[in-house]
Amino acid sequence: MAVARAGLLGIQWPQRAFQNVVPLGAQTASHVTNDMLPVSYPRTPEGWAAAPKKYNMCVEDYEPYPDDGMQYGDYPKLPDRSQHERNPWYSWDQPDLRLNWGEPTHWHLDMYTRNRVDTSPTPVSWNVMCMQLFGFMAFMTFIFWVGDMYPVYQPPGQHSETLSPFKKERKARRGGSSL
Amino acid sequence: MSFSNYKSSRLAALPETLDPAEYDTSPETRRAQAERLAVRARLKREYLLQYNDPNRRGLIENPALLRWTYARTTNVYPNFRPTPKNSLMGALFGIGPLIFLKKLSISLQTKLAGP
Repeated sequence: MAVARAGLLGIQWPQRAFQNVVPLGAQTASHVTNDMLPVSYPRTPEGWAAAPKKYNMCVEDYEPYPDDGMQYGDYPKLPDRSQHERNPWYSWDQPDLRLNWGEPTHWHLDMYTRNRVDTSPTPVSWNVMCMQLFGFMAFMTFIFWVGDMYPVYQPPGQHSETLSPFKKERKARRGGSSL
Repeated sequence: MSFSNYKSSRLAALPETLDPAEYDTSPETRRAQAERLAVRARLKREYLLQYNDPNRRGLIENPALLRWTYARTTNVYPNFRPTPKNSLMGALFGIGPLIFLKKLSISLQTKLAGP
């Protein structure tokens, strides 16, 4: 009975496998068509209208990189903010990247991942932090340089109580010299 | 405190609470926010339909990621135009190190080879 059931199930799995297989050439490898891909900087009003729709953006938010030959094409210029700043408690489609499906990805997304550059707000402004750090470093460098110019040493010599017996005898033989 | 000395910079953003745009409640802003939310909700719905489709067998491809990849690889050269900035960067970071390293290696070799 169990053997018969196994035999019956054994026939069913090739059928299930073939349901997921499509004859070659019946569909493309990707559902992305040519009009969905980025092109060069928009020069016509149609281009300006089609680009934000293509990138799933609102028209007012769409701003391409300036056309100065730096090869951005019509890719949108999103605010340069890292993925660290995104809400950690929202259920993102890709939680590690804090990214949603279809959302316009930043040009420098690979730089702004959570392993790399972090643009989160700091407790103090950047210039204040720089001033504090470099001010302290400069001050300490100056102080050490001054100490190098005017070294201060203790006078040489040892108290006889701390000497070993050999050294005490040597010191007495030399007539109590301070060396 | 009604003001703050905090200034944002490239690597330190302004917190939302200090951003005056956060407190902007005009109808235009609200309309724009609603539009953005509508776009996001539509995309989320499309994604979840594919994600929870019982007949789906493979990965869900993300057209935004494909566009990003295409823009960074294939779409780069067609949009290239030699400008002074481009040429300077190319010379400085592309050709410069090659020449420098070649010169360095030659000088090291001559020094090691001896007189």
